[in-house]
Amino acid sequence: MNFLDYLASNSQQIVFLTQAHFLVVLIAVGLGSLISVVLGLAVSTGEPDPRRFSLDWFAAGVREGGLVFTAALLTVPSLALFALFLPITGLGVTTAIIVLTIYTLYTVLRNTVAGLTTVDRAVLESAKGLGYGRLRRLLTIQLPLAWPVILNGIRVTTLISISIAVVGAVVQGPGLGILLLNGISRIGAANSFYQVLAGTLLCLVVAAVFEIFFAIVQRLTIPRGIRV
Amino acid sequence: MSDNPDQTAVVPEPGAGQTDTIVLEGVEKIYPGGTSPAVSQLDMTIKQGEIVMLIGPSGCGKTTTLKMINRLIEPTSGRILLDGKDVTHVNGDLLRRQIGYVIQQGGLFPHFTIADNIGVVPRMLGWDKQKTKERADELLHLVGLEPSTFRDRYPRQLSGGQQQRVGVARALAANPPVMLMDEPFGAIDPITRDRLQDEFLEIQRTVGKTIAFVTHDLQEAVKLGDKIAVFATGKLEQYADPETVLTRPANDFVSDFVGGGAAVRRLSLLELARLELHPIETDEKAVGNSNGTPVVEIDASGKPVSWRHLPGADASGVALVTVPISGTVYDAVDVMLDGAASLVAVVDDDGRAQGVLHWNDLVSGLRTRERDA
Repeated sequence: MNFLDYLASNSQQIVFLTQAHFLVVLIAVGLGSLISVVLGLAVSTGEPDPRRFSLDWFAAGVREGGLVFTAALLTVPSLALFALFLPITGLGVTTAIIVLTIYTLYTVLRNTVAGLTTVDRAVLESAKGLGYGRLRRLLTIQLPLAWPVILNGIRVTTLISISIAVVGAVVQGPGLGILLLNGISRIGAANSFYQVLAGTLLCLVVAAVFEIFFAIVQRLTIPRGIRV
Repeated sequence: MSDNPDQTAVVPEPGAGQTDTIVLEGVEKIYPGGTSPAVSQLDMTIKQGEIVMLIGPSGCGKTTTLKMINRLIEPTSGRILLDGKDVTHVNGDLLRRQIGYVIQQGGLFPHFTIADNIGVVPRMLGWDKQKTKERADELLHLVGLEPSTFRDRYPRQLSGGQQQRVGVARALAANPPVMLMDEPFGAIDPITRDRLQDEFLEIQRTVGKTIAFVTHDLQEAVKLGDKIAVFATGKLEQYADPETVLTRPANDFVSDFVGGGAAVRRLSLLELARLELHPIETDEKAVGNSNGTPVVEIDASGKPVSWRHLPGADASGVALVTVPISGTVYDAVDVMLDGAASLVAVVDDDGRAQGVLHWNDLVSGLRTRERDA
């Protein structure tokens, strides 16, 4: 039996696992991005005045604290994080999605904060001078101008999530990890190497699909005036 | 107010006994944690239709003063009145929509088209789409940009000078009576800046706004200002028309700030149209006259091409230089130095010779005639 024969005879399972992998990453990245972008917008603020206590200080605290915290989470080995959630959420999809979502937070939050703070000061200054309130400024000026940077963060985090999702198989999370884990545990047995190979290649396919997806999103959502 | 397009508005002479449009009463700004005030106990009045130039060294409080007028910076104490109404405590965002604001490089929104940039304030004020669109076209026209070419472009497709023009158009969009300008031409190359300044004066002649204008360029202040306000460390040192500031500085600070060369700078305040010029002849028969009138040779369209006769000099050895009558004595001196000529022919808009200005007139005193009514 060669590799193509293997693919042909297991096509149903392989297609199913690929779809599951795609979906679990999509859901986790969607959730994580929503949380991070909303949090980033909420705590985006000018530099707090060092001589006066204000809400800006609280926002800056949450922002910096949030970045440190999510960065720390990102450095926890994924295998450990999946295991830590086992007693709480048990085996299966829920645990996989929660853990994956946690891993997406840092990159998107970091890029949201960076994108919002690097908007040209002259643009914000003139918006203010023309009578834009804070919320209007944030949503109609800052967010669209920061969007390319934010979207890049989401794109990077998606690629990372595709590989982390593989590990989700240890908690019986859905996706191509099942194929890989199975293949590795039976290494030397019939078709075990083909399983590993198929799992790896199809992760690349999932990544390619996401890349195409993001290219389209980018085209549709980045305003024409700032498109490069 | 927007039903009255500013092109047809009756424009009053700047400051001629008009109402006080902007009044600052004992306005003071102390930044949190600061020890000395950035602006202290400032009283200042800007009359309707005037351009007032705020000038001074960095940190003198000129920008702080400007930004307190639309409350981008909140005054620590004192009162601000616009058209007699106390605006010190009204909603800042709503107030700013009633005041035009232009900053360096325009500060245009890069993700908005030019028309959308201009329509920003009208949209916030609830104008309908059609009216906002028509207003944008009208203003593009006013600032010298062809609407059909520019309205759908994005800021990055425009040069710095063009962006600045759009910045001015955007500030004028909702037809505010007052405009605040924070070094609008500061980052523009000198040639474009000069042209923008001329256009700005031209536009002001049609719109007649009350304008506070921050600059660090004395030349610009002299050229554009009906009045100049010289600031030093939070205090107004002198507030007078440009001629007075240049010729009679109120104190040592102003005199230092104005610096040497005030007499030369004053030349740019003297318009050639107001001078008593020497006569000039274009008739061939006048060659060899003894009354000292220079004769110039003209081409078919009546434009001077060379000197035919100069009293007491060889006409063929003197280059003919001309200056438009709309210019100033400064321009005349400039072309004389440039052409190494001791006299200059002053020409009207059609290029026809109107008179002559001699180098010696500068030192022997320039005679102005009665200003035309």
